[in-house]
Amino acid sequence: MENSRAPKADVLQGTLVLLVLRTLEALGPLHGYGIARRIEQISEELLQLNQGTLYPALLRMEQEGWITSEWGPSEKNRKAKFYSISPSGRKQLARETRDWERMRSTIDRFLGSMPETLMKEIP
Amino acid sequence: MSWPRVFAARMRCLFLRSRLDGELEDELRFHLEMQAEDNARKGMQPREARYAAMLQFGGIESTKEEYRERRSFTMIETFFRDIRYAGRTLRNSPGFAAVVIASLALGIGATTAIFGLADQILLHPTGIVRPDRIVALQEKYEKFNLKDIPLSAPNFADVRDSRAIFAHAGAMRVIDLNFTGGDVPQRLRAAAVSSEWFDVFGAKPVLGRVFSPEEDRPNANRVVVLSHAAWVRLFGADPTVAGRKIELNRQPYRIIGVMAAGFDWPNPTDIWVPLALPPPAFAQTNRFNENLVVVALRRPGVSFARANSWLGVLTARVFNSRTPGASAAKNAGYAMYCVPFLDFNAGDTKKPVLILLGGVVLVLLIACSNCAGLTLARASKRAQEMALRGALGASRARLVGQTLTESLLLACAGAVAGLAVAWGATFLLLRLAPRDVVSGIDARLNIPMLAFTAAVALVSGIVFGIAPAWHLSRIDPHDALKGSERSTTAGTARQRLRSIVVVAETALALILLAGAGLFLRSFEQLQNVNPGFDPRGVMAATFSLPQSRYPDGAAQSLFYRSLLDRLAAARGVAAAAVGFPGPFCDCLDAGGFVLEGHEPGPGDPGSHADRRYVTPEYFRALAIPLKRGQTFTETDRLETRPVAVVDEELARHYWPAENPIGKRIRLTDGTKDWYTVVGVVGHVLSSDLAADSGRGSIYFDLYQIRAALPNAWIIAKTPVTKTPGSSASIAGAIREAVRSADPAEPLYNLGPLEDRVSESLAPRRFVLRLLGFFAITALFMAALGLYGVVSYSVSLRTREIGIRMALGAGKGSVLRTVLYQGLRLTAIGVAAGLAGSLLTNRVLKSQLFEVSAFDPLIFASAAAALLAAAAFASYLPARRAVRVDPMGALRSE
Repeated sequence: MENSRAPKADVLQGTLVLLVLRTLEALGPLHGYGIARRIEQISEELLQLNQGTLYPALLRMEQEGWITSEWGPSEKNRKAKFYSISPSGRKQLARETRDWERMRSTIDRFLGSMPETLMKEIP
Repeated sequence: MSWPRVFAARMRCLFLRSRLDGELEDELRFHLEMQAEDNARKGMQPREARYAAMLQFGGIESTKEEYRERRSFTMIETFFRDIRYAGRTLRNSPGFAAVVIASLALGIGATTAIFGLADQILLHPTGIVRPDRIVALQEKYEKFNLKDIPLSAPNFADVRDSRAIFAHAGAMRVIDLNFTGGDVPQRLRAAAVSSEWFDVFGAKPVLGRVFSPEEDRPNANRVVVLSHAAWVRLFGADPTVAGRKIELNRQPYRIIGVMAAGFDWPNPTDIWVPLALPPPAFAQTNRFNENLVVVALRRPGVSFARANSWLGVLTARVFNSRTPGASAAKNAGYAMYCVPFLDFNAGDTKKPVLILLGGVVLVLLIACSNCAGLTLARASKRAQEMALRGALGASRARLVGQTLTESLLLACAGAVAGLAVAWGATFLLLRLAPRDVVSGIDARLNIPMLAFTAAVALVSGIVFGIAPAWHLSRIDPHDALKGSERSTTAGTARQRLRSIVVVAETALALILLAGAGLFLRSFEQLQNVNPGFDPRGVMAATFSLPQSRYPDGAAQSLFYRSLLDRLAAARGVAAAAVGFPGPFCDCLDAGGFVLEGHEPGPGDPGSHADRRYVTPEYFRALAIPLKRGQTFTETDRLETRPVAVVDEELARHYWPAENPIGKRIRLTDGTKDWYTVVGVVGHVLSSDLAADSGRGSIYFDLYQIRAALPNAWIIAKTPVTKTPGSSASIAGAIREAVRSADPAEPLYNLGPLEDRVSESLAPRRFVLRLLGFFAITALFMAALGLYGVVSYSVSLRTREIGIRMALGAGKGSVLRTVLYQGLRLTAIGVAAGLAGSLLTNRVLKSQLFEVSAFDPLIFASAAAALLAAAAFASYLPARRAVRVDPMGALRSE
């Protein structure tokens, strides 16, 4: 299972914002634990999230105004802090999705018909 | 990334720390509980489930830390925390905090008060806008050693017309005005000023307006502007006063405006009238008739040097013109020049004020040193705590920050208390200071003053806090945690630091003591100076006859003759006279004269002397000794031969080998009379006990002059001179005599002549008192610092003393050891102070009278005073040392 364990910290941190925003957009308001579980579920256990980094990231996103928070009762009627995506969060999600797409298509191009393109004349 | 939004979010969280911490706890707890439940559902035991949940989370504490760091500004939070902590620890040592705050309050408060005064005297006189751009114009005759001469009207006109250099120029002459509106005539302090006068200072009226150029002319000038203080005093701040008519010198005038509070120049002034110079005043023949005080506002972009060189150009123009007297003036080294208005205004007070500033800064430094010593002493108790924190991972910067915060907190408290001290001190200073030093100054606590106090507090806090803080941060934890104070290297380093601080304090105290001692000696010398006349038992008053009713010398003579007849006949009056200028007043009447047979050649500047116009009894009333010949007699009148009396200074200078009696002189003011010298009298100091102008005086008989005098002094002497205050009895006689001669004219400045003489010493006395106060405070504080060090050292060496006493050392020997320690420190301090004095006392030289700035007797006395204080300060702990119980000391640690 090693190769399915993506490297922690760096790479995930860069995309953590994207994942959280997408999760909240798709599934509505969630508490912190719920976000962590969902991310692990959706990635079919391929992403092992370092749960400790989630909360500082949530704080940062709230400071930037992309998400809002509210205390409310959980499913078991316990007090929990629920996060929801905000309009500027949706804009940020769209932005980061675009960036990700651009990055993916660039890398795809490299991984794709590489030999032919390399053989093209370089002025 | 939107920085402002993040910044704002972080700011909001700054003040909600504990609540947010609680929320974070809740959130994380919830997370772990949920995770544990999921684990339990998967089949783990409850305890295993919880444990697994924590492992799955990762580092909880590091998450919390990272979260907290992002949430707000850690540095500010740390700062607040340090302050709270410092406050708690200081509350635990109230004695220490009280002493430090009291010392700082005294030092900071005194410094702020003196700086406030200095600012108003030297930098920002009240009511004046941009004082740094204003210059005062003056003339000098270098060959005659005459400077600070006012300008003549033609020169003023030239300055006023130099629009490229000066935006505005104003001329002023002090005049006497009697306000005859009420039942009793009142004399007002008045100034006749040209129309642009107020513009030079940027002073604006609060009611009405100021003079227009049309009103600055002889027939249109019956208008006045009131000063704010006079408006309140005379008219009760009545807002309808503009346009009202009042009577001044029996003439009707109209009030056209009232100046804003604060502007008073030439201070003090009650009322301004237009100068209204008639056209003949600007004629070339008047070029050297100097009687106007002129100030001007430099244009922006015109430097001081440029203004001065322009005045040189104007001077050259005078020389090249056909003005009568120009070549003589050129030979005399005549020139127009300007000085910064601030220097002109501060005058003689500048140097003393700077000396006081230096003195008070020394006091502040000594107070800071004391606080540093106390802080170091306290640091000994906290060495262990600091070492522990360092060992647990606190960085050096944090430790320094912590200790420094404590010092800064103390400094803040000291500053707040210091503001109260400053306000009270300023109030006191204004009461005690001589009037002419502090006229126009008020005790105000404004924003610059508050900012200054804050800055001083900050610097003081750093100064006295940095040494202990830095020292504490360097402690080797191992060493400090080990044990007792005396055995650690840090402990000895602290003692050494404290000793250095005490030595420094002592040195500064010596400088202050020596300075105060020099001033004291100088003052004593001054009081013994013989002014050339005897002011004891003499009452004097100033009086002015309005030109409208006494137009010439003859009319005045008649008046004064009848006045003196009455006065001399009054009971208790042994002699009565009238003179102008009065004795020991700060007014000067000087002019050129020519000796018969010695007409000045082309390159000869001619002779110059002070002129005095007196009645015959003047010399007897003031006990001015007659050296040769005779003085004026009653038979000298306008019609008889013009006579003059010269003083020794003049005689020595112009007739060194001959008898001046019988020689004749003529004045160079255009009159043609030849005066015969009939007598020689002793030289008299004109206004300053410390300095003599070096010029001789020519006395003329008042009854023989043709032109009217602007004012005159009336002098009456009682036969009893030994008891001070004996002249008070004849004050009534003078008033009565004046009233019966002419009831309409008021008398002013009525008072004993002795007071006038001693008043000339008032500024010096004031500086002396303040310096003395600083010196005594410094002595006290230095002794206190020494006491602290010696006392602490005794407590450290208790064991050692116990051993020595057990081994047979006598009480005397122990006493001597402790005393020796204290005196040794003081001696080093005294030596350092002597070295320091060598540098600083050069500054004092100009202020001292017949005392060398390095007078060995004074220095020896100052050193002796410090050593005596040190002996006393060491004696108390020494007594404690002697009473040490050897067995108890050996047992304890």
